[in-house]
Amino acid sequence: MSQEIQNYLRKTSLFSGLSDDMLNTLAQNTTTRKLAPGDVLMRKGELADSLFIINEGWVKIVTVDSKGDELIINKCGPGEIIGEMALLDSGPRSASVIALVNSEALELKRETFQDVIDNHPDVSLSIIRSYSNRLRFSTTYIERAIDWSQKIAEGDYSFIEHTEPVSKSTETDDDKATQLLSAFFTMVRKVKEREDGLKQQLEQLTFEIDQARRKQEFEEITSTEFYAKLKEQAKALREKRTQQ
Amino acid sequence: MNKGKIVSIHSFRGGTGKSNTTANLAAQVALAGKRVGVVDTDIQSPGIHVLFGLDETKMGKTINDFLHGTATIREIGFSIGENTGGAEGRAKLVGKELWLFPSSIRGREISQILREGVDFNRLNEGLQTTISEFDLDYLFIDTHPGLNEETLLSIATSDVLIIILRPDNQDLQGTSVTIDIARSLDVPHLMLMVNKALPKYDFAQIKKDIEAKFHAPVSGVLPLTFDLADNASNDLFSLRYPDHEWSKALRGVADAILAIK
Repeated sequence: MSQEIQNYLRKTSLFSGLSDDMLNTLAQNTTTRKLAPGDVLMRKGELADSLFIINEGWVKIVTVDSKGDELIINKCGPGEIIGEMALLDSGPRSASVIALVNSEALELKRETFQDVIDNHPDVSLSIIRSYSNRLRFSTTYIERAIDWSQKIAEGDYSFIEHTEPVSKSTETDDDKATQLLSAFFTMVRKVKEREDGLKQQLEQLTFEIDQARRKQEFEEITSTEFYAKLKEQAKALREKRTQQ
Repeated sequence: MNKGKIVSIHSFRGGTGKSNTTANLAAQVALAGKRVGVVDTDIQSPGIHVLFGLDETKMGKTINDFLHGTATIREIGFSIGENTGGAEGRAKLVGKELWLFPSSIRGREISQILREGVDFNRLNEGLQTTISEFDLDYLFIDTHPGLNEETLLSIATSDVLIIILRPDNQDLQGTSVTIDIARSLDVPHLMLMVNKALPKYDFAQIKKDIEAKFHAPVSGVLPLTFDLADNASNDLFSLRYPDHEWSKALRGVADAILAIK
């Protein structure tokens, strides 16, 4: 079992650079948590004393929006690590984690994690590297998203034509960032379609006066005796007013 | 010599917010320090008095009495500046020179007028008398929708005609005929006001398109707003909510009226 966990840990981005000895120590200090659908693995705001590695199944990471509705931030599956942020900065849990299906998570206590970091500077380095990678991706994508948002605000959608991020995989962080961008692009395309549609509607609106009907209705009104008299009276009135 | 201008507010179909617009425009012009009158010639379905807080119990002599020769214009004018009532928006009109000349809301009197018809010279004389008796700068006329004879009379006597339309094809079609009529009757100043535009539209584009279509100025494009509907016709919206988009656009129309020489 310990060997199995050890192999498993090696595949995670956070621990992939560790020696067999180190992985063995880690594996011996994990406990397995079994979750049924709806079971809460951690609650937002709680003090954190462990991190989790999803071994089996899927969990959702959720928070609550201003209306009190559940907001799913992310879904995590096998190999993904959850809750390490709170371990590093000693802050409370930033979101709640709830099982979506029957799942299994490996729990690693703070003391073990701390020990590993204290005794193995390369682990710290590995963690820092992994974070700096994630950060680099985030920053790049944020910068591009800002650039595109400015273009959208100016009504310039041309960037859609020559940018095409597509990804179906959910394995790595950069794929997730790409997915986010893909969703962003879908949104922009929909906005553009809607805008084009509205422009079209507006054009139809202004160019649909039936000129024959307009002429006919005008003639119906102006051909009466009443109108002829009114026109004369109005003309006299205008002349009188101009003279005043 | 009369310097006062007759400003008719018209729409081809009902439901454009004509009475509401007329009342608010008149109030804004009065707020700008002008002497203003509002005549409700929508004898078939008068309604503008409600916006000025005048109900049947307070209503004395009406336009109908004047048209029958049983009342003078002096007796009909109801001073809004002296009777603003409790409404928050109208309260800003205290001391302003604004008078309402209401139509009768009594069915029998309405049908009598319609049966007898209204004479152009008599109507015009009445309006001119109103202007001189009250020394008005502007006399607003809230007309009946469509192009019946009373409405044609109002258009014929106007110095300024404001046509209110919604940005849809039916209103555009009707407005095209009204514009042709106004030009045929030599109305000196013609302007359009678009009301109830869905906020999703490009308002600048609506203005541009309609101006190009009719060769007439669009003095404002006002949004469709549920806030206005919520107001339930009981107060003057642009006075009560001056920072609302509808109110800002309406003041633009009022400014266009004040700019006419």
